[in-house]
Amino acid sequence: MASSATMMQTTAAAPEARGCALALEGIGHSFGGTIALDAIDLAVAPGELIALLGPSGCGKTTLLQIIAGFVQPSRGSVAFDQQRVDRTPANRRRIGMVFQNYALFPHLTVAENVAYGLRARKAPGAMVRSRVAEMLARVQMTTFGNRFPRQLSGGQQQRVALARALAIDPVLVLLDEPFSALDKNLRLDMQIEIKNLLKSCGVTSIMVTHDQEEALSMADRIVVLNKGRIEQIDTPDALYDAPASLFVNGFIGHANFLAGRTAGARGLVHLAAGAALVLREATQRTAETDVTVSIRPENLTLFERERPGAIPATVRVAMPLGAVSVIECVLASGETVKVSQSRAAWSGQPGAPAWLGITDTTKIHVFDTPRGSPSII
Amino acid sequence: MQRDLGDRVYGGLVGALAAASTLLLLAPTLVVLIISLTSGMTLKFPPPGWSARWYIELFHSPEILAPALISLKVALCTTLLSAVLGSAAALGIFNSRSRLARLLDALFMSPMVLPAMAFSLSLLLVFNVIGLRLSFWTLVLGHTIVCVPFVIRMVGAAVQQLDPVLVTCSLSLGASRWYTFRRITLPLIRRGITAGSLVAFLSSFDNVPVSLFLADARTEVLPIKLWAILEGSLDVRVAAVSGVIVVLTLIGLVCAEALGGLSRSFGKTSS
Repeated sequence: MASSATMMQTTAAAPEARGCALALEGIGHSFGGTIALDAIDLAVAPGELIALLGPSGCGKTTLLQIIAGFVQPSRGSVAFDQQRVDRTPANRRRIGMVFQNYALFPHLTVAENVAYGLRARKAPGAMVRSRVAEMLARVQMTTFGNRFPRQLSGGQQQRVALARALAIDPVLVLLDEPFSALDKNLRLDMQIEIKNLLKSCGVTSIMVTHDQEEALSMADRIVVLNKGRIEQIDTPDALYDAPASLFVNGFIGHANFLAGRTAGARGLVHLAAGAALVLREATQRTAETDVTVSIRPENLTLFERERPGAIPATVRVAMPLGAVSVIECVLASGETVKVSQSRAAWSGQPGAPAWLGITDTTKIHVFDTPRGSPSII
Repeated sequence: MQRDLGDRVYGGLVGALAAASTLLLLAPTLVVLIISLTSGMTLKFPPPGWSARWYIELFHSPEILAPALISLKVALCTTLLSAVLGSAAALGIFNSRSRLARLLDALFMSPMVLPAMAFSLSLLLVFNVIGLRLSFWTLVLGHTIVCVPFVIRMVGAAVQQLDPVLVTCSLSLGASRWYTFRRITLPLIRRGITAGSLVAFLSSFDNVPVSLFLADARTEVLPIKLWAILEGSLDVRVAAVSGVIVVLTLIGLVCAEALGGLSRSFGKTSS
């Protein structure tokens, strides 16, 4: 997966950028009394692929509908290439939309589906035919032109939906949970294919997803949304390596959260689990503050013998996941911790005592413990 | 495969019930068809001999052909009006979640529930009050009111099966509301409109109570004329007319099924 992602990065710099720049300023939206979105600012460069990521109910779908023009925001403005489009109805925005269940027209053939947007714009027949042929070739569905949607597999339906959206030569493509209806095995292939396609078209794209892996593998930049607000906007790597908040840390990748308390200067933190760590990120904090320390599972190593600085633990369960094993341990404080390491490195049994060593303390993040909510641990 | 006694008794019972019901439903139709082919002069069953003479006789009976033509005209006008009004109402009601829509639904359905006699009488009184004289068109109006519920029900069912995302998707592709209606909504609810129209046509064609009250003296419809003929004499031509209607209805049903079957295969979403 990592190798395919780097391959994509090179195609990302394709010169043929036809997409528009998108700017959202101060977008806010309320349904009745509840605030769905608040103070959303986002600037997207032409040709960029952005993922709106967040748990269900975070407002990401509403934001997509505001960009598409299906929902009129209560506050703020939407601009395509510096032109405000707040008053432009959805069918005049030149947006290609790929819906969650593809929304292919069941009574039209594949070719008619792809031609739909062009016909609706009264494009001349010859132009429609050549454009449909071009789009079908682009998604490798040329031989399926006369089939009906119900005769296609999920992946094929998605290709048609994308071809239909791209046929109208959109300035912006919006994808709503595009992979949620696909089998897990097919997902990665389709992600690679669609990312390639969007990048080769040079169109600006925004996808909505609740699946962090999807966002990490597809997007140039990810917008993490929580409770209607933007938590962080950054590249996938930066989100993983330098999460701005406890929420982002927990949402992107796996993380172990341990309760701790700062002690004096030089970043000393006492863990409730019974060890002391010197952490770079803790140096800014005053002593005697409750903090939450985040350690990624791959930053931990499990040892069968005691060694200095290691945290004592008891192994609860080991799950072999192919290349790596995930081992869950219980600490003296009652907190559970997941360790991810190669299968060969540890062969102990559940219930055995073990010691947790930290591979790289500079990769540990420290956050203020949210007041009154220890449930995040 | 082994089946125990209980299963066999159950199967036998259900089979016998089905056979009895089928016989009960089909028998009158079969009897009238058989009698219409009699060579005799009476409605005697079984007929003394076979002949198509009464069907030929129909072509020389202007007193039956004229009402038949009027019934046909009324039914066609009623069907057209019901299909347009009923489909529009169904689209409005079943695309809305407001309480008003539910109320309107109940209101439009009321002619189906109310006794047709009471309803026709009240409509007659209303026409009287507003000074509308009975004519062909008052009859069509009355028929339309009692036939619209069928269309609303059947188109409503089709509208409820229509995925609203398809409309959103059409708009996102740059289509206007009108284009979306013609190319997406209408084709996908066509089956409901066809079925509703057929039922509306049939129920208008053999409607008696509304026609009794709302037809003027010159507008004589077929069912009432047939009744009048039977009151005077047991005319075999009535059986022949019934035969024609049964056969035409069968043809209509087969056509609708073929049309409906066709659109069903297109109309099915992949989900």
